[in-house]
Amino acid sequence: MSPGDIWYLIIGNPVLNVLIALSHLLGGNFGLAIIVLTVIVRLITWPLNKRQLKSTKALQDMQPKLQELQKKYGKNQQKLQQEMMKLYKEAGVNPLGCLWPMLVQFPIWIALYQAIMRALATTPENLLDLAQRLYSWNIVSQAIPLNSQFLWLDLGSRGDFFLAIIVGGTMWVQQKMTQAPAIDPRQASTNNMMLLMMPLMFGFLTLMFPSGLALYWAVSNIIGIITQYFVTGGWGYLKFRSPFPSSSAKGK
Amino acid sequence: MFLVVIALLPLILVSCTGTAQPKGGWSGPTVHDGVIYVGTTDGRVVAINSSTQSEQWTHTITSIIYTTPIVAGNLVYVGTYSGQVYALTIDRGTERWVYPRTGSMGAIVGSPVIADETIYISSSDGRVYALDTTYGDLKWKSDPLGERLKLWTSPAVVGDTLYVSTFDGHIYALSAETGELLDWFFESEAGFASSPVIDADTIYVGSFDHHLYAIGIGSNISSMWKFPQENPAGNWFWASPIVNEGIVYAGCLDGKLYAISAETGEELWQFESTDAQGKATPIVSSPVLMDNLLIIANESGNVYVINPETGEGEQIKNPENDNKPTINAQIRTPLCAHEGLVYIRGEDNQLYGVDIEKGELSWNISLTREE
Repeated sequence: MSPGDIWYLIIGNPVLNVLIALSHLLGGNFGLAIIVLTVIVRLITWPLNKRQLKSTKALQDMQPKLQELQKKYGKNQQKLQQEMMKLYKEAGVNPLGCLWPMLVQFPIWIALYQAIMRALATTPENLLDLAQRLYSWNIVSQAIPLNSQFLWLDLGSRGDFFLAIIVGGTMWVQQKMTQAPAIDPRQASTNNMMLLMMPLMFGFLTLMFPSGLALYWAVSNIIGIITQYFVTGGWGYLKFRSPFPSSSAKGK
Repeated sequence: MFLVVIALLPLILVSCTGTAQPKGGWSGPTVHDGVIYVGTTDGRVVAINSSTQSEQWTHTITSIIYTTPIVAGNLVYVGTYSGQVYALTIDRGTERWVYPRTGSMGAIVGSPVIADETIYISSSDGRVYALDTTYGDLKWKSDPLGERLKLWTSPAVVGDTLYVSTFDGHIYALSAETGELLDWFFESEAGFASSPVIDADTIYVGSFDHHLYAIGIGSNISSMWKFPQENPAGNWFWASPIVNEGIVYAGCLDGKLYAISAETGEELWQFESTDAQGKATPIVSSPVLMDNLLIIANESGNVYVINPETGEGEQIKNPENDNKPTINAQIRTPLCAHEGLVYIRGEDNQLYGVDIEKGELSWNISLTREE
C-alpha cells in the first residue's frame, strides 16, 4: 500500500464521505455540511485547543513576573532567556503552543480541499475519481451530485474579496486575543509580523482556493474566538484603544 | 518556519489533489470511409488514414475535447469543453461553421448526436441545443433542465423525441422539433451517471446508486427493472450499456462487465476485468460488438475479447511484455470497432489499432504534435 493509499484510507476518504453524507442529511446544503464538519473537527481537536488556551491564560497571568525579569536581566539577553524559559517550565507553559492546533489541522485542510474538489466534481475527471472514493452508503450515493451554492458563494470556485476579509479579519482577532506582548524586542517584532502576515496570507489563500475551504477557515476562526473568549474569560490581549485623548489630557 | 509552511500551503494542496482544471479530455475515435477522426489531448481534431496511419489533416481548436467526433454528410462535428460546436469538412478539416461564433454555450462533455439534419448537444449550462447541421444555425435551445444542473451526458433520439438523463435523477423527454419539455419524465432517488441508451421502447441508463435501470418509454413510465435486483453493484454504471439480441451488456466502475436479460433484468453472466496486478479495475468506456465478439477495455489499459454468449474472455497481450496491460496507458475514451480493428485513444495521446481476429495490438501512433 502506497503512502497515498494510506492517506486516503485514513483521512482523505473518511472526510469526503462524511462531508457528502452530512450534505445529504442537511437537505443537500454543502455549505452547512462544511460548517458542521468544522464544528466536528473543533470538537475532536478540543483537548489540544483547551491546553493551548490554558497556556494563553497562564501567559497572561505571568506578565508581571516576566516584566520583572525584563527589568532585572534586560541587559543580559542570554540570562533573560534562561530565566524566562525557567519560568515557563515552572508554570508548565509552552509559548509556541498556539501553533500546534494549527499544525494539527494541516492534514484536515488538505483532506477538506481534496473533498471539496472531488465532491463538487468541477471537472469530469473529478467526478470519475469521486466514484473510486465513495463508500457504498445509500446516503452518499443519493447525495451525488452536490449543490455548490451557499449564500453568495460558489463553494467550488475561488473565494471573493469579502470572504477574504472575513477570513483574514477573524484570524487577526483570534491571534490578537492570544498573543502576549513580548519582552524581547526581537520577539516582539516577530510577533507583530506574524500578527499581520498570517491574516494577510490566509486572505490571499482565500482568493486562490475554493471558497468551501475558506468557509472552513472562517468558521473555524469564529469558533476559536468564541471558545477563547469563554475559556480565558474575555478578549485577552485584544485591547481597543480609544481614538480620543484621555480626560486627564483635556486641560492641557 | 511556520510562515514558510503556510506559504507552501498552495503548493501542498495542489500537489495532493491537482487543480480544478480538466486534463486532456476523453475524445474517442470514429471511422468514416477509411478515415479515423479523433480529438487529441492538446486540443486538436485530426484525421488519420486507417490503412496507412498517416495524418490527413489536423485542425487546432485549442480547447479540451471530451466529445467523440461525429460524421454526417461531408462534415465532421465536435463539441468542446470551451462550449463551442465545430463543423469541419471531412476532406481538409476546414472550418465550415462554429456555434456560437463568440462566447460559449457552456462546457460540452457529452458527445453530440445527429438526427434529421439536426445536431443535438447537451451543455453544462443545463440546456439542450439543436443546431442545423449544414449552417450551424440555432433551431432551438431548451429551458434549463434543473437549477444549476450540468448536463454531461449525451441525449438519445427516438423518432421525434429526445431523451436526456440528468445528474439529479431525472430522465426528461423533449420534443426534437421544438425543444419543449414533454409530459413524460422519469424520476429516481439517485442521479444518472450514464447517457441513456434506447432499444425496443426501453431506456437503459446507469445510476449513481450502483444500479442499471430499464425504463419503459411512453405510457408506462415506471421502472421495468433495476439491476442488480438485490445487492447493488460495486460502483456506478458510468459507461452507456449496449444492447444486442435481447441482452444488455453493461460495464461498471467496479471492473465487471455484466450481461443482463433485457426482458427480465436477470444476470446472465459477469466478467471481471483487472489490471496487471490482478486488481479489479473500472470500466469507463462502453463495450463494442464486432463479428459476434464483445470487446471491452478497462481503465488500466487492458483490452479483452469476450464471447457474448458465455462470458468467457481473454486479454489481448501487450506485444512487449505479457505482464503489462494491453496498452501502456489508461483508457477512458469510447472504443470504435471497424472492419476487424478496434481503435482506442489512450490517455497518453496515442491512437492504438487492435486486431481482434489476431488478438494483438496491430499498431499505435502518437497524436502529439511534433514541435
